[in-house]
Amino acid sequence: MLSLKHFYRSLASGGIRPPANKAETLRSRIMPTPVPEQLLLPLQQHQGMAADVCVQVGDQVRKYQLLASSDKASCAPIHAPTSGKILSIDTEIDLYNTGHRQICISLRCDGQDEALELDGDCVEDHRSLSREQLLARIESAGLCGMGGAGFPVAQKLAAGRKSGIEKLLINAAECEPYISCDEALIRERANDVVRGAEILRDASEANDAVIAIESDKSDAIAALRAALVDSELKLELVSPRYPVGEERQLLYNAMGIKLSRGDLPVDAGILVFNAGTAAAVCQAVMETRPCISRIVSVSGAPLRTPKNFEVLIGTPVAHLLALCGIDHGQHRRTIIGGSLMGKYLADASYPICKTSNSVIATSEEEFPGTEQEQTELACIRCGYCADACPENLLPQQLLVYSKAEQFERASNHGLADCIECGACAFVCPSKIPLVQYYRSAKESIAWEQDRRESGKQWQERFQFWQYRHKKNAESKKDRKLVTATDTDSTQSEFSRQQAREEIAAAVARVKQKRARKKD
Amino acid sequence: MAAVSSPMQFSRRSTRQLMFLVLVAASPAIVIHSWFFGIGMLLNILLATLMGMAAEALALYLRKRPIRSNLGDNSLLVTALLFGIAIPPGSPWWLLLLGIGFAVLIGKHAFGGLGQNVFNPAMAGYLFLLLAFPLEMTSWHLPEAAINPATENSPLELSGLAQSIQLLAPTTDLADGLAMATPLIESKMAVRSAVSAALDQGLNLFSRTSATGWELVNWAFLLGGLFLLAMRIISWHIPVAVIGTVLVMSAVYYSPGNASVMGTPYLHLFGSATMIGAFFIATDPVTAATSNPAKIIYGIIIGIAIYSIRVWGSYLDSIAIAVLFGNFCAPALDHYLRPRIFGRGQAGKL
Repeated sequence: MLSLKHFYRSLASGGIRPPANKAETLRSRIMPTPVPEQLLLPLQQHQGMAADVCVQVGDQVRKYQLLASSDKASCAPIHAPTSGKILSIDTEIDLYNTGHRQICISLRCDGQDEALELDGDCVEDHRSLSREQLLARIESAGLCGMGGAGFPVAQKLAAGRKSGIEKLLINAAECEPYISCDEALIRERANDVVRGAEILRDASEANDAVIAIESDKSDAIAALRAALVDSELKLELVSPRYPVGEERQLLYNAMGIKLSRGDLPVDAGILVFNAGTAAAVCQAVMETRPCISRIVSVSGAPLRTPKNFEVLIGTPVAHLLALCGIDHGQHRRTIIGGSLMGKYLADASYPICKTSNSVIATSEEEFPGTEQEQTELACIRCGYCADACPENLLPQQLLVYSKAEQFERASNHGLADCIECGACAFVCPSKIPLVQYYRSAKESIAWEQDRRESGKQWQERFQFWQYRHKKNAESKKDRKLVTATDTDSTQSEFSRQQAREEIAAAVARVKQKRARKKD
Repeated sequence: MAAVSSPMQFSRRSTRQLMFLVLVAASPAIVIHSWFFGIGMLLNILLATLMGMAAEALALYLRKRPIRSNLGDNSLLVTALLFGIAIPPGSPWWLLLLGIGFAVLIGKHAFGGLGQNVFNPAMAGYLFLLLAFPLEMTSWHLPEAAINPATENSPLELSGLAQSIQLLAPTTDLADGLAMATPLIESKMAVRSAVSAALDQGLNLFSRTSATGWELVNWAFLLGGLFLLAMRIISWHIPVAVIGTVLVMSAVYYSPGNASVMGTPYLHLFGSATMIGAFFIATDPVTAATSNPAKIIYGIIIGIAIYSIRVWGSYLDSIAIAVLFGNFCAPALDHYLRPRIFGRGQAGKL
């Protein structure tokens, strides 16, 4: 049951209750996927930098072997998910058709799954390790956030160490439709999640750690309660509303802390990790196992048996769809992520990354209007969007300003605070693609700002040039003035005369020389 | 714009459906009204709808907008419905045509069509008629049986139907025009009228006299409004603010036994157009304030205007003027009463 406090907070933070569509994938247990023939490993699977390849084409690699790494903090290393041969290290893909191309390592799997001996001892209790050891294990495992943007875990912990951390929040809310990987994980491996949370708490030296989950996930809550019996961690149930799992929304709903859009939780002394990340941290620290797989929900109407899979990183999405018995006649497009904030995958042969939590195969019946253009009707200012907006914005006003390109007014109304969760577009009875309008307005604002800034640069340069020019002219005038005053003095008169004499002498010398040559 | 990026999932509710549900919510009241007072209101609505459709199609054609998809959004049906209810039953066809024509062409499309109009089109049309034809707009021509509160009336009687249709197309003199106003108007105009006398004893439910008819119509509008609330088509802010304000003002100024009768709070709420005004007219999203704090102030402004115009003004019932006055204020309210953006102005620290 939701406490009164949490109920009030949920009322105060808007949101929507879309059909969850999670029951299909939660019907069966998490299934390990058979190793596919080939894996494609992007060198950059998260925000930050791409890793540098440390193998060569033709190399035989073993499971857990390091394939790419970097000494930069914003980069998580990449390990071989299984044994096989490196086919190429320069395959280029554009995962979401955004024009942002990624370089991938292509690995032909041999099916032997020969593992490298893991260095480092398995431990029973993470408290036997020092904080440095914990951080080192987490860093070398190549972990990055498994829910959202995929910030490297080690980098987050390092940032927290710098600013000091008081609270830790484990995000198990998973509010977006179709995604059930965390819920499945908690149902089956709640101990890993709790232990991972404890490790993260100790690694960040937080005093307080909270696991937040939506109150309607009863199986997962029961599993967590059982796992939390001798733990100091607290469990907070939040109202099941989308987007309660968004970082700042969850901070408010679970802890009552409001951060504005620009603030990072780490600056407020809080670290937020996803439940899946916590479980991966547990494996990385206890068994020194690198991050080579993750749990992915695969769902959608064209699939006969939607499921949660334990998937090797780099597995082609098409492989998963085939495992679920896909009906190609119905299948239209493929979404990575949920139905409200996900992205269209450019090609089904593209791989699962460390951040890919869900795959949705869409059909025309289930996702009408995503294929052909939807007739967009006039905004009747019904205000449903304003009620749904978790950021308390007025989406209908933002729409007017965005459409009219009144960007300054749009900014005044908090366009930059929009998290693009899509709640407004979901409820809009006139089927207006609000988020698209906001994105385009944001881009225009960014572009305009860019232009203004570069314009400012040019202006500065020009002004500096003018200044220099003026200075030059002035100094020239000064010099002339100086020479003018010099000519007045007898000394300079004398020197001029002297110069004339010298010149005359030189001319005479030259003439002499020429005359001599003629001779 | 096609959905090229997230979100990909949408709720199935459409503007069309919303408008349709508003019609559904209003229908019990219309049925009750027809039961007690004859089919005059129904005829008003039907005729207003047909003529409004024609005017809308014309406007869309002139503005070079797609006719079919815009007519299909059902918004015109709601406008025609509210207009038809507001116009006295038994009004001649040309009055309806002028009114709905003004509502659609000037009230709605001159401002840029659905979503752009500043004033509620139905109320703008009503007010235009009220100013241009004050006599026609303040007398309710009803079949004879519906007038006398003492007699049980029978709305299905053919003579009543015939009279209603006759009133719509007045070929004969309107001398037969049997005039009647809402109980509130009667209480204002003629203190000791039959309706007021009935009111003194309390309205009798189910006795099927005209005063009871009014009462039931308003209860039906209230129920319709609660249905809209339950379906989450409207939010509670505006109706609660309007009704609450009218209730408070009428309770404060009510003095029994006083010669200048202000009417009981019950009369103000259920013997007038307050319910339809609060739930169906003031909540028109296009012309109302949109943020929740602004909606409450907007409702209070309309409530004060309703009561003030009714009691101290020279107009009989005042919903239309009050709502249009609220429409005037809405943009300013929206500008100044913006909700605080999530997390803004918070310290951020623990």
